[in-house]
Amino acid sequence: MDRGASTLGPRAAGTQPRSRGWKAALPFVGPLLVLVVLGFNGPILLIVNYSFSAAGTYSFVNYQELAATPVFLRVIGNTFRITVLTTFVVAVLGYILAYWITSLSERTRNIVLALVVVTFWVSVLVRTYAWIVVLGNAGLVNRTLLWAGAIDAPIAFLYNDLGVIIGMANIQMPLLILPLYAAMIKVDQRHLQAAASLGASERTIFWRVFFPQTIPALASSVMLVVILCLGFYVTPAILGGGRVPMVANMLDTYINSIPRWELASAVSIVLLLFTLALFMIYRRLDKWASGEEA
Amino acid sequence: MDRRKFSQMVALTGAAGLMGRSMPARSQVRQIRIVNSGGASADAAAAAYGKPFTSKTGIQVVTEGPNLLGKLRALVETGNSSTTLFVLGAMAFEQAKSLNLIRKLDWQKIDPMPMFPETRNDYGLGFIFYSTLMAWRKGQRAPNDWAQFFNSQDFPGKRALPDNPIYVLPAALLAAGVPMEKLYPLDVDLAFQKLSVFKKDVSIWWKSGVQPPQLLRDNEVQYAMAWSGRVNGQEGVEYSFNQASLDISFMVVVRTAVDAEVDAAYKYLHEMTVAENQAIYYGIDPYPGNSPSLEKLLPPEAVKKFETAANNKSVQYYHDAKWWYTQGDAVERRWQQFKLSL
Repeated sequence: MDRGASTLGPRAAGTQPRSRGWKAALPFVGPLLVLVVLGFNGPILLIVNYSFSAAGTYSFVNYQELAATPVFLRVIGNTFRITVLTTFVVAVLGYILAYWITSLSERTRNIVLALVVVTFWVSVLVRTYAWIVVLGNAGLVNRTLLWAGAIDAPIAFLYNDLGVIIGMANIQMPLLILPLYAAMIKVDQRHLQAAASLGASERTIFWRVFFPQTIPALASSVMLVVILCLGFYVTPAILGGGRVPMVANMLDTYINSIPRWELASAVSIVLLLFTLALFMIYRRLDKWASGEEA
Repeated sequence: MDRRKFSQMVALTGAAGLMGRSMPARSQVRQIRIVNSGGASADAAAAAYGKPFTSKTGIQVVTEGPNLLGKLRALVETGNSSTTLFVLGAMAFEQAKSLNLIRKLDWQKIDPMPMFPETRNDYGLGFIFYSTLMAWRKGQRAPNDWAQFFNSQDFPGKRALPDNPIYVLPAALLAAGVPMEKLYPLDVDLAFQKLSVFKKDVSIWWKSGVQPPQLLRDNEVQYAMAWSGRVNGQEGVEYSFNQASLDISFMVVVRTAVDAEVDAAYKYLHEMTVAENQAIYYGIDPYPGNSPSLEKLLPPEAVKKFETAANNKSVQYYHDAKWWYTQGDAVERRWQQFKLSL
């Protein structure tokens, strides 16, 4: 099939301005660059520095300690487990919702999109606590089910993996839906019509024509969700009931209560390396997904 | 990102050191900054100590929270002089001393009113007593000790415990029959062995002191370990001081604070030893202060509920902060390990 430049326009046309040089762009990019380097990259280097320091000298002591204590790696492993589960839920539900939105009339579409965006206006903390009112033992759902006689004892939605995944998925959902929707709306309808005119079933049209064109957007929003999940603090702390150990919560202890910043730094750097490795895999996938034009 | 988190980040990157200097060192002190635990305790301190201090000296008091030990370390390591006073729990107080984060107090300048001896420390002024105790939902069978608290056969229901080994390990040992006066040094192995049996009944390991009374009221759990001030006077929640741990919160001076502001802060510390001020504090955040004459200012029903009332104090124990300072790290690791097994 010919995937012409006309339909994938913005990307294919974007190679030319690069040659015009970065000097012209510097006054515009400069302030942001300074902010990122001083406010983000600098502190990360300080953390690297902390992770290699022990009693005033440089050493690998912190990393040795980390390697010798399986619990740190297990907490990191658990963090990835919760992250993968949450991302899976977000990807499946978010994809369906975004796809449904594209099928609506423009008016309804705007209303539904507004409903998705509105969740950004409410603080993460408030949204997290709200789940207690909805899903707690004495919450709306359990009381309704008990009243209706559907269950004998309240269902334990909260204070376990399920509670954390529900809470995190709720917060991450818009971050996946919005870019995915933007990509879906750009898919050229003529491709689908062409497929239909050649006799493809609706299922085939979706899986062989529509879905492949949304993979890059799906992959990049999934990556965004994964990276944000890895650092989640509030939701596991509140909805996990302290039973779902995640890295950010462990780091909080080592930074604020113990406080062993050197060890906490080493754990952070290991997490950062894992995340970078994941990012590299994603880049590979992205190249593969966007095929020959990458 | 909320303001609190942002201010923490600013402190961590050291930028606060540049922005936070509210005045040149030589000019007159116009304001002092205190980091405390926020919430009711901040409101109580503002009304009880801040008000008389400001009306006498004309110096404004700015408070901020939360009072994390990591934040104190960040202030000192970046040479930040914006904050003068800092509130620390007994355990963090011991750590701050060892890490050289706080100053020795000049008790002559504080010129305190009479106070309980354990609240007067070279490095800190103890200003409230608080207990970590057993509480339960009204109507539930009342436990007498930790053995009964953890006995889910005769005392059915779910439990909530703090996500903090400092309070949980001693309670597990008391439940195992270790006498209160022989708790320290803690038998860590036995404590974890007991906890691995109890854990099936614990549905929530709480992070914040507001959680336990709310969880009890919502019937999310039926028994909980809680801070005394959070359950005192709460509708539908009952509690006992039996085998509870007694702790003291300390006010300390940040090592990198400005001298002139420290002198001003001593006047604030003086206000913290005045019984009348402590009575105001108790009315907002019900924890008793360091003055032996506070009892005379409050109704007898309130005094009976004091963490420090003779019959309450005698059934409680103090934590060994020094033991925790040396063992805390190793215990924390086992705690994480234990949490992974939940």
